[in-house]
Amino acid sequence: MEHHLTERELIEHRFRLTPDDVVSAAADHLARCAECRGRLEQLNRKFASLDLLREDVQVSQELIAQVLAQASKPAPAKIVPFTKRPWLGAVAAVFLVGLAVLIGSLMQEQPAKQEFARGPELQQTISSGQLRQQPEADKSKEAMVAASKPSASSEMVKSLADEEADTKMLMTAKEPAAIVQNQPAGNLATAEVRTDMYAMAPAKDSKRDNESLRREITSGAAGAAAPEAIAEQPPFAPASAIELVTLPRREKVQLTIYNSADLTLVRERRNLTLKKSWNWLQLMWANTLIDPTSLSLEPLEQKDKIDIQQLVFPARLRELGRWLIRSQISGQVPFEITYFTSGLSWRAFYMGTLSQDEKTMKLEGYVRVANSSGEDYENAQTRLIVGQVHILDQIAELAKRQYPYDRPVTGLGYGMGREGGGAGFGGAYTSWWSGAGLRRTLDTESLEEAKEVRKEGLSEYFLYTIEGTETIPDQWGKRLLSFEAEDISVESLYKYDEERWGDQTTRFVKFANDKKHNLGQTPIPNGDVKIFGRADEQGHLSYVGGTGVKYIPVDEEVELNLGPARLVQVEPKLMDYKTESYVFDNNGNVAGWDEIRTWKIEMTNTSALPIEIEITRGFGTAYWTLQTDIPYEKYDATHARFKQQLEPASKRTLEYTVRTYHGLREQAFTPGS
Amino acid sequence: MEFSLEGLGKAPLAGLRAQPRMEKTDQSLLDAHRQGDSAAFGELVRRYGDSVLGYLVRMSGNRERAEDLFQETFKRVHEKSHTFRGPQFKGWLFKIATRVAVDGVRKNKRMKTISLNQQTDCAGQDGSELAATVASDNSCNPSEQAARAERTEQVRQAVGSLPARQRATLVLAYYQQLSYHEVAAVLGCSEGTVKTQMYRALRTLAQRLPEM
Repeated sequence: MEHHLTERELIEHRFRLTPDDVVSAAADHLARCAECRGRLEQLNRKFASLDLLREDVQVSQELIAQVLAQASKPAPAKIVPFTKRPWLGAVAAVFLVGLAVLIGSLMQEQPAKQEFARGPELQQTISSGQLRQQPEADKSKEAMVAASKPSASSEMVKSLADEEADTKMLMTAKEPAAIVQNQPAGNLATAEVRTDMYAMAPAKDSKRDNESLRREITSGAAGAAAPEAIAEQPPFAPASAIELVTLPRREKVQLTIYNSADLTLVRERRNLTLKKSWNWLQLMWANTLIDPTSLSLEPLEQKDKIDIQQLVFPARLRELGRWLIRSQISGQVPFEITYFTSGLSWRAFYMGTLSQDEKTMKLEGYVRVANSSGEDYENAQTRLIVGQVHILDQIAELAKRQYPYDRPVTGLGYGMGREGGGAGFGGAYTSWWSGAGLRRTLDTESLEEAKEVRKEGLSEYFLYTIEGTETIPDQWGKRLLSFEAEDISVESLYKYDEERWGDQTTRFVKFANDKKHNLGQTPIPNGDVKIFGRADEQGHLSYVGGTGVKYIPVDEEVELNLGPARLVQVEPKLMDYKTESYVFDNNGNVAGWDEIRTWKIEMTNTSALPIEIEITRGFGTAYWTLQTDIPYEKYDATHARFKQQLEPASKRTLEYTVRTYHGLREQAFTPGS
Repeated sequence: MEFSLEGLGKAPLAGLRAQPRMEKTDQSLLDAHRQGDSAAFGELVRRYGDSVLGYLVRMSGNRERAEDLFQETFKRVHEKSHTFRGPQFKGWLFKIATRVAVDGVRKNKRMKTISLNQQTDCAGQDGSELAATVASDNSCNPSEQAARAERTEQVRQAVGSLPARQRATLVLAYYQQLSYHEVAAVLGCSEGTVKTQMYRALRTLAQRLPEM
């Protein structure tokens, strides 16, 4: 071979996959060609790793024993498939067809005979009893059961004993007459409530049911109502999901959202129709974030006659619970269902609009409630908790209180909320924030629909109740106007502090959450603030700056940092520097001295408004004295602060000389010197 | 059974007394098994057990699964013993083992589950094998042990990734050291096909195997 060996030739050579003559030719080439030998060695190194799997595998005695035990059984009989005996297939087919025809003809004959045998009394008994309003699907079962009984009562009893299987089917059927719900099913999927009222036990108690039916028939109580006494033992929880479903509409729902814990307490009020008996109430929470361990059910009326016995979670049915309720009354009873869910959250944010002269500001507060809990909440009263909540019991206790301290000033009570989950705010209602202290500027129309937030101070946290109700569908967010306050007097302040914000002037808006500033009714939850200014005479807005604010308690002052101010500039210049007053130690070395710096600070205001600017200067030591004609404030040990007013489009200069004392000269420093 | 050499004197030679018993042929053992001699079948299992299990371990990449396949193989041998026409029991046995292994691997692929523990799973179909490799390694150096275990797992994965036919060819020819002719008999194809399959398997492995 003259050419270099390909990888294929190398592999074939290595594993003797080619005829001998080719192998020897390749061997000759390899003997001459170092490059090919190198490649072959590389391949060999790779294939050598195959030997890692060459470990000894030994069969255990146990495995051999198992194999021999298997072999000790006789070999299975030889099976001849139909394909090898086609005629057998034909015979089998003819047999099956014949059998099917025979069964079919028998089934047709049977109902005719049974219809003939059924008497009018029985028909009345059955129809006025448990099967009165049986659905269509169950009517066939009813017919089969009824048809299977002879006309005489004694024969019926005998027939019942014989037809237990059919009766079983009957007993598992629903009893729609007992489950009359006046309300249409709501379109809310959460916590689907299924009520299944069983006068009798279902399938597993069929014998007992047989007995009761037997008594009913033998006593001739045709058309009698269900017995008055309630069975001592509750029926077994239905294990299937075939019950008649009713979805009583939520009458009311209240959400208490604990942002800090991603926890929302839901209180629902639903009117359930109970029967004087044992009742099963089914609650499903599939595809929601409901915490099933927190489920609680409580009747709001007739508490002494309704006993919530237990909550069971049937096997094999996931995300489903059933309450067993023993009721001594029949009829509609309001219930409260409470549970915790995750996925609901809220956040506050604010928008401020400065007036033309930047002396007043209009502040609008919003709350955005987001719902990703998997459940739609329609017309929900929404309450928001501000602050850290630590103990779950406290949460529950708190949330269960309708009005922690007092009733909110409503006039537009529960249920007055707007439905439909629309835009949710705007001209129609401009404020729901807690009333009295806020000066509202609402027109007549908006006053009619004004919403309120009631704030309640509760030790470490605050509870805000949004007035009225809101519909918050799953995966939707909703922005709600929380308050609106106009003419909040603000101080527009510019600050210059190299150590904090570098060489840029920073703009602040300062106000207080108090009555003087048309605020102060409630603490303001933390959130983002965006400040806008009036850009022109037409009232167009310009974005001034934004920041995040922390929780602002009542009567607390707040400064909103709006970021760098480009229209106001401060430029410090070092004009002179010298050292003097040297002190020497015994060895003649310098042990102390003074540094004297002269600074000139140029302040330029290019805006159209007069401003106040605060300049903070640091000296790096607590031993300093300042000489200047301009008043200043000693801000702290190492800083001095100047406050200056600047006219629109003006420039001012500030000069000062600072002497700092170092080393032994610090001893010569006299404060105020 | 004792042997004595006629014509070399009356006294039997001590060395020849210790001569091992003459082994029965595979065919005679199988015949005995057919006649109901369970010991004969046991002898066959012991004779080829290690070899068949080794083959199945390499085919399935998993000792536990291989043991299941092993039982299935000998179960079929037991049930189909009447169909054996010779000449080579070993070839016939491996033919059955191959069929069982290919069916088993295919079935296992259908039922493949995804482990939540990726770290374990990436070690192979059964992460415990990696640990077993480490544990069984005689090297004193833990890092060497770990590296060797990792390489072994790479090889196992590389071999396991081959199509069943190629894998069977490689395992029979390389690990079981059957000749290409014998492999062809086991797999029921021509020798040329075996070589082609072998080449394809090796070409793939050349890309995937780690260098030693």
